[in-house]
Amino acid sequence: MTLLAEGLTKSFPGVRALSGATLSVRPGSVHALLGENGAGKSTLVKILTGVYRPDAGRILLDGAPMRFGSPLEALRAGIGVVHQERNLVPEFTVAENIALQHLPRRFGLVDRARMRAEARRCLDLLDLDLDPDTRVGDLSVAQAQLVEIAKALSVDTRVLLLDEPTASLTGDEADRLYRIVARLTATGHAVVLVSHKLEEVFAVADTVTVLRDGHSVAEAQPLADYTRDQIVDLMVGRAHAAVELGARTVDRGAVPALALTGVSTGHGHRDLDLTVAKGEIVGLYGLVGAGRTELARALLGLDTITAGEVAVHGTPARITSVGQALGEHRIGYVPEDRKGEGLFLEQPIARNVGVTVWRRLSRAGLLPDRAERDLVARYTDLLGIRLASPRQLAGQLSGGNQQKVSLAKWLAADCDILIVDEPTVGIDVRTKAAFHELLAGLAAQGRAILLISSDLPEIVTLADRIAVMADRRIRGTLPNTRAYDEMAQRVIRLVHAPLPQEVR
Amino acid sequence: MTDAAPPATSAPPRSLPLWANPRIGLVVLLTALVALFATLRPGFLNTYLTLVPLQADISVYVVVGLAQLAVLSLGHMNMAVGRMAAFSAFAAGLVHDRFDVSLPVALLAGMAAAGLLGALAGLIITATGVNSFVVTLALDFALIGLVSLLYAEFTPGVAFAGQPDGMAQMRADTFADYCVGDVCGPPIPLQVPFALVAVLLVGLVFRWSRVGREVLMVGANEKAAKLSGIPVRARIIQAHALSGVLAGLAGFLLAASNGAFSASIGDGFLLPSFLAPVLGGTLLVGGAVSVLGTVLGTAIVQVIYKGLNLLQFQVDELKLYIGLILLLALSLDRVRHVVAEKRGVPA
Repeated sequence: MTLLAEGLTKSFPGVRALSGATLSVRPGSVHALLGENGAGKSTLVKILTGVYRPDAGRILLDGAPMRFGSPLEALRAGIGVVHQERNLVPEFTVAENIALQHLPRRFGLVDRARMRAEARRCLDLLDLDLDPDTRVGDLSVAQAQLVEIAKALSVDTRVLLLDEPTASLTGDEADRLYRIVARLTATGHAVVLVSHKLEEVFAVADTVTVLRDGHSVAEAQPLADYTRDQIVDLMVGRAHAAVELGARTVDRGAVPALALTGVSTGHGHRDLDLTVAKGEIVGLYGLVGAGRTELARALLGLDTITAGEVAVHGTPARITSVGQALGEHRIGYVPEDRKGEGLFLEQPIARNVGVTVWRRLSRAGLLPDRAERDLVARYTDLLGIRLASPRQLAGQLSGGNQQKVSLAKWLAADCDILIVDEPTVGIDVRTKAAFHELLAGLAAQGRAILLISSDLPEIVTLADRIAVMADRRIRGTLPNTRAYDEMAQRVIRLVHAPLPQEVR
Repeated sequence: MTDAAPPATSAPPRSLPLWANPRIGLVVLLTALVALFATLRPGFLNTYLTLVPLQADISVYVVVGLAQLAVLSLGHMNMAVGRMAAFSAFAAGLVHDRFDVSLPVALLAGMAAAGLLGALAGLIITATGVNSFVVTLALDFALIGLVSLLYAEFTPGVAFAGQPDGMAQMRADTFADYCVGDVCGPPIPLQVPFALVAVLLVGLVFRWSRVGREVLMVGANEKAAKLSGIPVRARIIQAHALSGVLAGLAGFLLAASNGAFSASIGDGFLLPSFLAPVLGGTLLVGGAVSVLGTVLGTAIVQVIYKGLNLLQFQVDELKLYIGLILLLALSLDRVRHVVAEKRGVPA
């Protein structure tokens, strides 16, 4: 079955996620869908699988136009998907999970024998020797991943979309998965592979589509025509519109605001060295899953630091809670998941900004409304957050303004070390530029900023130095020349550089 | 003013419209109910037969509702409100019985005992991560046994024989019985000021105190609260302790109404404790409480009780109607939310 998606356009409030993207996949091939974070890959996958409806464009299956109202309709049309996040019910058995969307019934009850046989059939397709009666919660991550593929194949699936299928797999498990992919294509299935891991892509894919800023910049080209560097160039784009923010002067002689020496964590980071000076932005780049957020959490006392030393303004610090990081060391953390962790969506904006300063403002345990109102007004003005009223709920703001509120609370608390995690994910280009100027301004005022980002242009625009993390190690730290092409090449090489041999 | 929920009538663009403010609906409903019962039974407005006992009941159950509200703020539940009240009444009775302390001291001892129980519940919840419903339900079960055993051990039967000076007056008197010269007080029972102080203090805590606001933030989004530097565990324990203290006060007020510290105090607290706050617009998911709404909710429930009672409904019928009214009110509340959301207020 040939899948052709043409001119797909999809906008979300404030963001145009896709504008005229095209994807064409032939049976019997592995098609790589590549692009940087935020290029529109996930949106495209979600449109193809009926999660979103496109604003414009059409989807053709073997030349017949399709309209998917729900994921089930897409599945019935023959498009199966394995999403990045797990979608199995842990308490159900393998067979129940595989057959979940079309349970065989007899007299209104589930026909367990047929369900098991059906599951067996799907597992056999993958050569998987799993007991269909095993509880999914008891499986390993890799096994669960393969069960998801079996589930996607349980309907007569002809096109299989795999979104970062190896993100949580070991090398051997990934090899096994790709052997299965090869068998599927040999039997005429089409596979669309979304992956950040270029080695894997070059090993298994035949053709490639590259998305950048919602456009397809390479459409169904044979992958063999490209070198790896050319693909990277396509992904990041030469005509990169960088905001010129001007270099800051960083006093490197002074005691660094934040210094990590030989830090290891309970999360598997080993021997990290990293410093952030006053007035400096250090970009921490890495792929999803490299362990950057986990490092931030360890610095805030939410994970344990097992070895090494963290020094704040030259003084060794043992931080055990966010309250202590804030109160004693004035470290603020703007989390990546602003809706889930950064904001109180159902609370007024004033409370969202004020939450970190109540401890300072309270007199005899009580909070004078006025002091809070003044403070909130000062920081919403400073960050250019447009509000109808401070009583407006945070959930009613646009993504960019929400992120500003998430940042404002740390500024209100007078933090001079800020850890900012993926600050502009899902934020439109213009707001993004404004946010970059804001961060640069904060650094210019003498704050130390550790910028965690998977958005390379963002890091090159903002950072004074770029630390590259992969597999919970810092692979190197580069001074940023702000020459985008050069920096992109060097950073990507560091990410993919083989891990130096170590004594185990 | 004691309303700690985000005011629903602010921010002209994209905010809840006035009609969606649940408190206004409650005032209308309360007025209508009073008018209805007064029409059907003019005796409903009789001061000493109806209005004075009604005020005493409202006082007790407002405090019961506040005890539940204190943990609803977190999105938690306290299934042991009744037994915490019973334990408080026991503690108050015991210190009076053994040490012959005065009424205020007995009251404080009772509230402190129940507060410690609440703190214990909060401690178990934070230490184990077990759902508050389960923890307080288990605690309730344990306390049923403990309170009976304690009464059996320390009293001749199921109640303390004596009571501190002033208890009898709290039961029988109103301010109308206290005169300065020719000027007497209004016909308001002596329980009312206790409840009033509780209402004002709880309102103050959730509206203007750091601790109360941080409790609400924990209820709104525990992860974000933790990442904003709020000591989440301490706030959970404090909210449960407050719930215990208020349950203790309610137990004492009911003991004063009944005229004895007895084992049966608090038996009927659980349902009303949810009824009043939920009717008043407090969310079960946490993050927003309405103290004023709780007062109105309690008043409505007690007016219905008294009214149906006067119309000579049986106890079982009373319960049936109260249940139906609650279902109706909650459904209307949900409809109101859905409509408000469709008008452009995001969920």
